[in-house]
Amino acid sequence: MPEIVQIGPFRPQLVEPEKFTLTVENNKIIDADIELGYVHRGIEKLFTTKTYLQNLALAERICGICSGIHTLAYAQTTEGVIDVQVPDRARYLRTIYMEIERLHSHYLWFGVLAHSLHDTEAFLKIMGEREKVQDLLEFLTGNRMNYLINTIGGVRRDLNEKKIQRIRSVLKDMKPLSDHIMTLLDDNGRFTKKTKGVGILRKERALAVGAVGPVLRGSGIKSDARKDDPYAAYGELDWEVITEKDCDVRAKSLVRARETYESMKMINQAIDNLPKGDIVGELGDPLVTESIGRVEAPRGELFYYIKSNGTNIPERVKVRTPSFANDFTIIEMMRGDYLQNARLIIESIDPCFACTDRVTIINAKTGKKRLAKLE
Amino acid sequence: MAQPKISVYRFMAAGCNGCDVQILECLVPRYKLADLGVGVVFTPEEANVLAVTGGVNIKTMEELKSIYEKLQPPKLVVAVGNCALTKEIFDKGYSMVGPPDKIIPVNFYISGCPPRPQAIVTSIAKALGAKLEEKEDYWATPEEYRGRHEFDSEKCIGCGACAQVCSSDAIELTENNGKRTVKVDYGHCSYCAFCQDECPEDAIKLTREYHLVFTDRKQASVTTDVDMQKCSSCGAYFMPQRQLKRALERTEEKVAEYKRYHDYLKETIGVCLSCRRKISNIKKAKQLLSRLSVTALQK
Ligand code: SF4
Ligand code: SF4
Repeated sequence: MPEIVQIGPFRPQLVEPEKFTLTVENNKIIDADIELGYVHRGIEKLFTTKTYLQNLALAERICGICSGIHTLAYAQTTEGVIDVQVPDRARYLRTIYMEIERLHSHYLWFGVLAHSLHDTEAFLKIMGEREKVQDLLEFLTGNRMNYLINTIGGVRRDLNEKKIQRIRSVLKDMKPLSDHIMTLLDDNGRFTKKTKGVGILRKERALAVGAVGPVLRGSGIKSDARKDDPYAAYGELDWEVITEKDCDVRAKSLVRARETYESMKMINQAIDNLPKGDIVGELGDPLVTESIGRVEAPRGELFYYIKSNGTNIPERVKVRTPSFANDFTIIEMMRGDYLQNARLIIESIDPCFACTDRVTIINAKTGKKRLAKLE
Repeated sequence: MAQPKISVYRFMAAGCNGCDVQILECLVPRYKLADLGVGVVFTPEEANVLAVTGGVNIKTMEELKSIYEKLQPPKLVVAVGNCALTKEIFDKGYSMVGPPDKIIPVNFYISGCPPRPQAIVTSIAKALGAKLEEKEDYWATPEEYRGRHEFDSEKCIGCGACAQVCSSDAIELTENNGKRTVKVDYGHCSYCAFCQDECPEDAIKLTREYHLVFTDRKQASVTTDVDMQKCSSCGAYFMPQRQLKRALERTEEKVAEYKRYHDYLKETIGVCLSCRRKISNIKKAKQLLSRLSVTALQK
C-alpha cells in the first residue's frame, strides 16, 4: 500500500528549507514532489529598486555559499548594458577569487556529506581544515562570506605579495585534504560504500530534466560554462573539465573532489601569469538594451538576464540559479530508489545542504500519520 | 557525554544561508563551543535556545511561532545576522514579514552579515558569563575586515553621499535644532563598505570590531553630528556648514582665474534652494553666470 512521506520543509541540518513529498511503496520511492518558496525574499523585484552598484550586494545575498559567483555573474551581465572595458588583471583576479570560493564550497559539501553519513570523524576533519580557506577569504576580501569582491568593470581589492604568499601556502595545506577525500571515495573508501549505486541519474535523463554542474558532469556529460563559454581568465588557463561515468552519488562526489585539484591548478597558474595594471575599468553610462550572462558556479551554470532602460536602475533582472535547475533531478533520482537513501539524494545535488532526521509518514489510504527516522 | 547545558536549535527563516553556514562552522573544535557546554540539537523539543537566521517570510512565519512554543525553558532566542535583526537588504521584499522579533520575543541580537563564528561563540560565552581563551591568530580580524562603522566627526561634512550609495538603506540623515545627524544603523547594514568607498572626505570607516551582540537591536548604531548653515536670505537651516565650505572651496578651485567674482559666488552659494528660486535671486545668479562667461569670451 503506497504511503506518503513528507520530508521537510524545516530540516535542521539543512541550510535551506524545502518540502519534499514522496510516495513510497515497500520502502521504494514511486514518486516525489517538491514545494519551494520557504526562502523566497522577492529578490527579482528588489533588483528593480536599487542602482546597478547597490544590486551587487543584493545579488551576493541570493546565496551565501556561492555569494562571490553571483556578483561575478551579475557584474558580467551588467557589463553588457554599461560600456566598460574590464582590465586583464581584473579578469585574472576574478578567476583566482572565484576558484578559492569553489574550494570552500566543495569542501563544505563534503563536510555535509560526511555529516549525513554519520561520519563525525570525517566531518570534523573536513570542516576543520576548511577553516583555512575561510580565513584566507576573510584575509583577502574582508569577510568570510558575502565578500563583495567583484564589481562592475573589475574587482574591488587587489592582491599584493603578502596575499599571494598566503594563497600559495593555504593551497599547499589544502592538497592533503583533497587527497584525504579521494581516499574516502576510492574503491574501499568509507564514503564509497554508502554512495555507490545510489541516486542514479542516467545521461539521457540528466539532459532531459536540465541538470547542471557536477550533477550533470557526474552523469558523464562534459559541460562547463568555464570551458564552453569562457569568461574571466578561464580561456587562457590550462585545465580540464572533470566528468565521471557512473551517474550515482559517488560519481557526483568524485567530480567535486577532482575539481578541487583543478581549482588549485588554476589559481596557481593565474597567480603565475597575473598581468599588471588596473583592477577596475572606467564605467560608461547604461545603454537602453538587454544582456545575458552565464558563469559556472560551484553548483553548476548560473544565469542572469538584465534589461536596461538607460537609467541607473535596471528595469528587469532575472536569475536562474543552479540549485533550481538541479532540484528536478532529485525527483528523477528518487524514483525507484529506497526511502533510506532519500536524504543522501537530496544532498547529492548540493542544494546547499542536508536533510532532516525525522519525517512524517502519512498512509495515503487512511490518512494516519506516524513519525519515522530517516537515516 | 553529559547533557549540554545549552542545546541550540537552528531555524532558517528566509536569509541567504550565510549565517547558517557560520553556525555550522561553530561546531569545528577550534571555536571551543563544546567547552562552553553548548550542543546543537535537531528538534525544537530538545532545545532551550533557538538561533534564528533570516528575516522571516510569509511561509516561515507560522513555523517560527510553533517552534518557539515547543522550546524548553528558559526559551532563549538569539537572532543571528542582520537579516534576523532588521531584514537588512531584503527589508522591502514583498514576501518578508519579519524581522523575527515582530513575531516572537528575541533576547539577543548578533550583528554581522554574516557574523563570524568567532562572534557567535564569544557572544554565547558573554551571555553565559564564561571566559574564552582567544590566543590563536584566527580570533583577531584581518586588516581589511569590514566590521562596525566609525565616524571621524572632525571630517564628516554631512553631505549624505554614504546614505545615497548605501545598498541596504542603513544610513539615515535627520535634522534637528540646527544640527544634522548622520546615523548608521549597522543592524541594517550589509557591510558592503560602499559608504567607505564613496565618502568624499574619508569620514566613515568600517573598523575591525566584530563583537557586536546586543539585547536591543536599536543599540546597533553609530552617529555623528554636523552644524547646519542658515540661509543668508531667509534664515532657515539648509545645508551643513562644512559641506557648504567644501562646496565653495571646490567651486572656487574650478573658477580660480575669476578671483574678483569669488565674493559674489559666496553670496549666491549661501542661499537656500527655495530662496535661490526667487525672481530677484535668479536675476543675481544669471548676472554672475553671464559675467563669468563674458570674461571667458574676452580671453
Ligand atoms: S545577515 Fe547576511 S549573511 Fe546572514 S542571512 Fe542575512 S544576508 Fe545572509
Ligand atoms: S557598509 Fe555602509 S553602504 Fe554598505 S550597507 Fe553598511 S552602511 Fe550601507
